[in-house]
Amino acid sequence: MSRIAAYIDHTLVRADATPDQIVNLCQEAQEYRFAAVAVNEVHVRLAARLLRGTGIAVACAIGFPLGGTSTWVKWYEARSALRGGASELDVMIYLGALKSGRYDLVEQDLAAIARLCHDHGALCKAILECALLSDDEKVRACQLAVAAGADFVKTSTGYGPGGATVDDVALLRRTVPPSVGVKAAGGIRTYYDAIALIEAGASRLGVSAQASLQILSEERVLLENP
Amino acid sequence: MQLDPKTLDSLVEEITRQVLVVLKEQGNQFVTPRPAAGAESSCSRCERQVAAPRRPEVAPQIFLDTAARPSDVPDVRDAVRNLARYIDHTLLKPDASYAQIAQLCEEARQYGFATVCVNPINVQRCSQLLRGSGVGVCSVVAFPLGAVPTRVKCYETQQAINDGAREIDMVMNIGALKSKDYDLVREDIAAVVRTCHSNGAICKVIIEAALLTDDEKIKACQLAKEAGADYVKTSTGFGPGGATLHDVTLMRQAVGPDVGVKAAGGIKTYQDAMAMLRAGATRIGASASVKIMQEARSAS
Repeated sequence: MSRIAAYIDHTLVRADATPDQIVNLCQEAQEYRFAAVAVNEVHVRLAARLLRGTGIAVACAIGFPLGGTSTWVKWYEARSALRGGASELDVMIYLGALKSGRYDLVEQDLAAIARLCHDHGALCKAILECALLSDDEKVRACQLAVAAGADFVKTSTGYGPGGATVDDVALLRRTVPPSVGVKAAGGIRTYYDAIALIEAGASRLGVSAQASLQILSEERVLLENP
Repeated sequence: MQLDPKTLDSLVEEITRQVLVVLKEQGNQFVTPRPAAGAESSCSRCERQVAAPRRPEVAPQIFLDTAARPSDVPDVRDAVRNLARYIDHTLLKPDASYAQIAQLCEEARQYGFATVCVNPINVQRCSQLLRGSGVGVCSVVAFPLGAVPTRVKCYETQQAINDGAREIDMVMNIGALKSKDYDLVREDIAAVVRTCHSNGAICKVIIEAALLTDDEKIKACQLAKEAGADYVKTSTGFGPGGATLHDVTLMRQAVGPDVGVKAAGGIKTYQDAMAMLRAGATRIGASASVKIMQEARSAS
């Protein structure tokens, strides 16, 4: 029995992902008992239908990956995803406002989505895109996410200039209270990557579909040959 | 007399409105709303959701009509003379600050680019900064993955138009194209096109050519044309590759002379830009547009 699968959001958010690939993704998620599948909104209904009653969550990316839409559009997109059956939303924060010192706008934007999630009994994960931020900005973004009511802070989209690092995960973990999770995502390829990030404080890992199967097979080899 | 900015804005809007009314009465063709074949009052699939208030009458429609349109691009010579009018001055990185957006608009004003191309969150800011400049505002929609449902694309489009966008660069549903679900791809585009045209905006369809085979590129262009798109566009700039001469040539052949082709992604020099225009592009999307214009000046 895999110990690491329960940490993993089995992820397929490529622009050219097809419904057939989403069907595979959901079958794999059931077989290996991942925490969730993470998909784009266009595939939420399909994934929710396939995973109904399995205990595996459907996570949907919102304002993804640039966070370049207004709060209204994010909210509309989020409501549509929740109605479609998503139970977790991975929301890109408003980076332009953060970079311009308009922290109030960053918080308001995220708070609107977090409230909507909680009204639907869903989780809200705030994506910070750490590779574009200074350490001070990462800390500030965490504080704003916590104030906005986010359930997780998440390192990266996987589309930015860099993915999850051990240092960033440790910084995020130190900054947010224990009640808030830390999701490491982006560039997680091996079992050792995954373990290092969990040891640094990650409570969830976003891993692309191929890599998560690879990580599980590496884990199997290690468990069988300790 | 001292006027606060809000009052000034509303006065300018009122004057613009009245000027447009007068010009319309005189039958000035530039102000006539763009004839959108089969355009309905709103997006038919998502009419209920698109309940946002509109104020199209205050838009800089009159200025935008001087921008290069597919139908009024006779040859490359015009592009050499008026290169700036063929360029969408682009800033789409997620961490673009307000200061960088202001600089983008200032440069666009200075060089007279066709539009600034920005994320929807920045459209309102750009519209305010560019009021009266003759430079339009172009908003990307469902960017860069195209993987949101049609109703979300329509809502996002309507909001961007309400904020002052007069050109929309939407990403098509690439996964559906890959699955040969052509009706879905066409309907998705058509709904956004209807939302654009019923508000006097134009619609460009991004096919993200680097993810497609040549056959898929041709099919995507045909579907976009059938759906009433004004332009097809090569790339988001966030995909695995940018505009290539091969793709621009192929797309120009696929859509014929009546639909525009926008080359975007990785166009860094004047040489790049001119090569794209010669291959059949009628619009260039670039973040290096100032450098391109400077090179153009030293070339001439």
